[in-house]
Amino acid sequence: MSATFKANNPFGESILKRIIYPALILAVTTSAHAATLKWAGTTDPQTMDPHAVISTPVLGFLNNIYEGLVRRGKDMAIESALATSWEPIGEGKGWRFHLREGVIFHNGATFDADDVVFSYQRASAESADTKGWFAPISEVKKVDAYTVDFLTKAPNPLFPDSIANWMIMDADWAKSVGAVTPNKDEGNAATLNANGTGAYQLKKRQPGLETTLAKHNDWWGEDIGNITEATFTPIKNPATAVAALLAGNVDMINPVPIQDAARLEKNTQIKVFKGIEARVIMLGFAQQADVLKYGLDQGKPNPFLNVKVREAVAKSISVPAILRTIMRGNAQPASQLVSPAMRGFSSVNSDRPDFDVKGAKELLAEAGYPNGFSFGLKCPNDRYLNDEAVCQAVTAMLAKVGIKAELDAMPVRSYWPELRQDNFDMYLLGWSPGTFDHEHPIRFLASTPNPEKKLGSWNFGDYSNARIDELLPMIQAEIDDNKRQEMLDEVTDIYQDEYAYVPLYIHPLVWGTRSNVTLTQRPDNFFILRWASIN
Amino acid sequence: MLKIRLSNRLSTMLQSDFIWHLSRSPIAIISLLVVLLLVFSAVFAPWIAPFNPYDPASLDLMNGFTPPITANDFTSQTFLLGSDDQGRDVLSTILYGMRISLFVGFVAVLFAMVLGVSLGLIAGYLGGWVDTLIMRIADVQLTFPSILVAMLIFGIAKGITPVEYRDQMAIWVLIIAIGLSDWVQFARVVRGATLVEKNREYVLAAQLIGQPTPIIMLRHILPNVLSSVLVIATISLALAIIAEATLSFLGVGAPPTQPSLGTLIRIGQGFMFSGEWWILLFPACTLLALALSVNLLGDWLRDTLNPKLR
Amino acid sequence: MFNYILKRIAQSGLVLLVVGFVAFSMFRFVGDPIDNMLGQERTQEDVERLRGELGLDLSFPVQYGRFLMDAIQGDFGVSYRQGRPVADIMAERAPATLELAAVSATLAISIGIVLGVFTAIRRDGWIASLIMTTSLIGVSLPTFLIGIVLIYVFSVHLGWFPSFGRGDVVQLGFWTTGFLTKSGLLALILPSITLGLYQMTLIMRLVRSEMLEVLRQDYVRFARARGLSERVVNFRHALKNTLVPVITVTGLQLGSIIAFAIITESVFQWPGLGLLFINAIQFVDIPVMAAYLMLISVMFVTINLMVDLLYVFIDPRLRKGGL
Repeated sequence: MSATFKANNPFGESILKRIIYPALILAVTTSAHAATLKWAGTTDPQTMDPHAVISTPVLGFLNNIYEGLVRRGKDMAIESALATSWEPIGEGKGWRFHLREGVIFHNGATFDADDVVFSYQRASAESADTKGWFAPISEVKKVDAYTVDFLTKAPNPLFPDSIANWMIMDADWAKSVGAVTPNKDEGNAATLNANGTGAYQLKKRQPGLETTLAKHNDWWGEDIGNITEATFTPIKNPATAVAALLAGNVDMINPVPIQDAARLEKNTQIKVFKGIEARVIMLGFAQQADVLKYGLDQGKPNPFLNVKVREAVAKSISVPAILRTIMRGNAQPASQLVSPAMRGFSSVNSDRPDFDVKGAKELLAEAGYPNGFSFGLKCPNDRYLNDEAVCQAVTAMLAKVGIKAELDAMPVRSYWPELRQDNFDMYLLGWSPGTFDHEHPIRFLASTPNPEKKLGSWNFGDYSNARIDELLPMIQAEIDDNKRQEMLDEVTDIYQDEYAYVPLYIHPLVWGTRSNVTLTQRPDNFFILRWASIN
Repeated sequence: MLKIRLSNRLSTMLQSDFIWHLSRSPIAIISLLVVLLLVFSAVFAPWIAPFNPYDPASLDLMNGFTPPITANDFTSQTFLLGSDDQGRDVLSTILYGMRISLFVGFVAVLFAMVLGVSLGLIAGYLGGWVDTLIMRIADVQLTFPSILVAMLIFGIAKGITPVEYRDQMAIWVLIIAIGLSDWVQFARVVRGATLVEKNREYVLAAQLIGQPTPIIMLRHILPNVLSSVLVIATISLALAIIAEATLSFLGVGAPPTQPSLGTLIRIGQGFMFSGEWWILLFPACTLLALALSVNLLGDWLRDTLNPKLR
Repeated sequence: MFNYILKRIAQSGLVLLVVGFVAFSMFRFVGDPIDNMLGQERTQEDVERLRGELGLDLSFPVQYGRFLMDAIQGDFGVSYRQGRPVADIMAERAPATLELAAVSATLAISIGIVLGVFTAIRRDGWIASLIMTTSLIGVSLPTFLIGIVLIYVFSVHLGWFPSFGRGDVVQLGFWTTGFLTKSGLLALILPSITLGLYQMTLIMRLVRSEMLEVLRQDYVRFARARGLSERVVNFRHALKNTLVPVITVTGLQLGSIIAFAIITESVFQWPGLGLLFINAIQFVDIPVMAAYLMLISVMFVTINLMVDLLYVFIDPRLRKGGL
């Protein structure tokens, strides 16, 4: 019987031995090393283009696909990435970066200085959100295939620290797909596709639905866990996300809704990672607009031009109540544009305005608004933890002193364009300093907007103070820490006295994972896949 | 004289078949009572609600997440059914929310009824191209489920209205959307009945003595189709209430500053797992009780008014 | 009969034209299309160029014609929210909704008819009363509430089924199916029950009332008098006649399943057309709204047409003409 079978079998030996057994063995061994991670969050990264939008969901996600000359380690310190070393040129003339050799892009191309120069041009283009990072740069020169010089207009000791999120793209690829400049409104090939040098490559992108990453086998680095494939799914509804984590449909969620954190911590199948993000949540005002744009007092003179009104707003909000009820004790109050953990935090100015309803009403009366006024408050509803709830609470608190806010909460994708077009009277903003330094928000939020100098690009309210503008370049060039801190203290004093913004609290970080997941949580809320493992 | 007339009418009514049937069905009595109770508490909400949840100045965030009956450990405030995430009293919010749900429901059905009955009468009585036109429009609309039509109308309205009016307009847009999506069944039934009644002798008689068409339609034909209209209206009311709750739950209905029952359930869903069960449970039960009672009433009405099943 | 069929087809065409008109008006009049498509950094040249491309300088009927021609070829423009062609997005999401609708419909029809017949035959039993009461609750419970409760009980507490999404799907050409994977099948169950419950109760009550009606008819009494067994009476005679109106109503309801999917997809984050539509409304993404409207109307009109034609074949009275 078996002899006949062998004779008639065209494969000679049994199929089982030649094909199926080896396949099984291969499958078993690869699956022992392959691990797939599924994670979910409220905000889908809006684009795959690393220079189009600087927002944490985008940059955090792309940090797995693209890399910069430098990057931040687990302790947030700057370490080498695509640049192996760097040194100052002359006496504060600039910085010279030595590039890493043998780096391969996801499409197989090799990395060299041309890509760096191209990426600088792209990232500092008019349509790039990242142009603010290159304000101090006067010129970028290729010295040889693996050396690039960045020349600064003035001595800038912190420049290498400030480009940890600037990602290098392959010049040839970008040109071939027609994505030479970023396009944040209409999008181009770089919006849906990616070609980077990072540990993971983009396997599939379905905006709003799911995005899949796969391990890049030619990655130059070694510091990587056992995740070979990872899928991100945006889940807007927090209850759904928690349910998914509990049911094991996802391995990690970020953020965990505050109200569920305590309960999840008690669950033995779940691990909760809590931390304080570097992000400060604050209210901003329209500071140059003549009239109000929304609400029943639309068209009337803008009360926020008066510092007393802004101070009244600050005094009418009870941050302790927000921290207790909405944040459930997971956040800290904020007094400045950065949190106390950041470099350059002004400890002499660390007090917030007190919650003082009576005082607020008096200030309003002094400013000429004894009966308050009506205006429009704009808020995102899917970006920060409980953002809409905070805005609703702010509305209620302002109503107590007579200021009636008409709340307009919207998805963050429409929110930024609205702010850029000045369609607000007051707005909510969260800022996380990319350099972990106080100078960062001063450059982006407190400097008079200046497109040429790439200053104040996120200062939607157009807050302007000449002394701050004067001090900023001095702060950037100052090497002595004490002198620098003195200047930062003075700047803080100014913007606090003028109530340029009303900082509310420091955003908490709450990640939830299944108990078999290990990962590292960074204060900038970036989820670095290669530091994660499934056991 | 007036007194005697009124009491005559009252006693006539009380002795009518309708009341007799009602008294025989415990389910009908209970559902009627429930509906009346809920409607009553909604209508008089401003007087019986312990708080006004729609006045932002009266809210205190420190009251947030207080469980039912127990006192808030910070403000010592108690809430019978607990408080939600903004410190609003759940009981008051349910009462005020029911106002919106019921208001939208009733007015939408009224709108649909008036529109549908009129068009049905006109189509049935006049016949000809008017009939064809109206029925074709009805057919077109019947192709689409009402919830879709409602959502579409809402979406378009949202695109057209400027931001500051959106909250105020939301309720009216809801009413128009639900009403416009519902008139067809009224029209069809009334048209069918009109076609039947049209050939009866009393109509011919009225025509002979020269009564104008509208009078004939209103005074003679309408009362005879009223019973079917009533049944449809009751069931439509339940559907309208559920439709409004659904739209608000999805975020395309009542605004969060003036939450209806659907919005409350949506808020409550976010806290379903974290232990603040009261924010979801009580509005959900209220909605269920309301819809169920109205449906039971409608069912009973249909059974009672349908002579074939007696 | 031929006349009737022609009339129905013509009517369907008219419906589609009207819907197309509504969709087109949305495009033109709701918000400014140019504003929606170009960003803040647009130049006057960009505006002029886009005006020409969109054909906004042409007359209204011409624009409408172009819109229809594009739509027939499947070109619905580019989504404001995602920046991708709407047709691509819809093609990606359609299989999810269609599979969900198919499973829900099957559940609803099969269980609905069975229960309807049962409660009609045994109308005085306590089981029948129980089923009827539960059905009433089923009709009074909003779909989203059913979904939430099911997730809470079966997904979070018991852990039997996933709480969101489609599970693993297999790509077959342009179709993605969840039927071929275990997680895909499990993921289908809770949403289908949620979606189908309302339809099931409707069908059940309809079948019951129709069957009760039929069972009282004279010919049924005569059949019993002839000595035919209950089973033959119920199933051979009564059921057939019951099913005729049931089929028409059911057919119409099938169309609404696809629309009600919007709610179910919202609660379960089911990546189908419904979730796409609700996101489009919140975002005022007109191209997606218009495309969904057109697509749904084509589906509905087709289903209605088929049901009408089916009716003609089933009901011999119609075949003789004169309707």
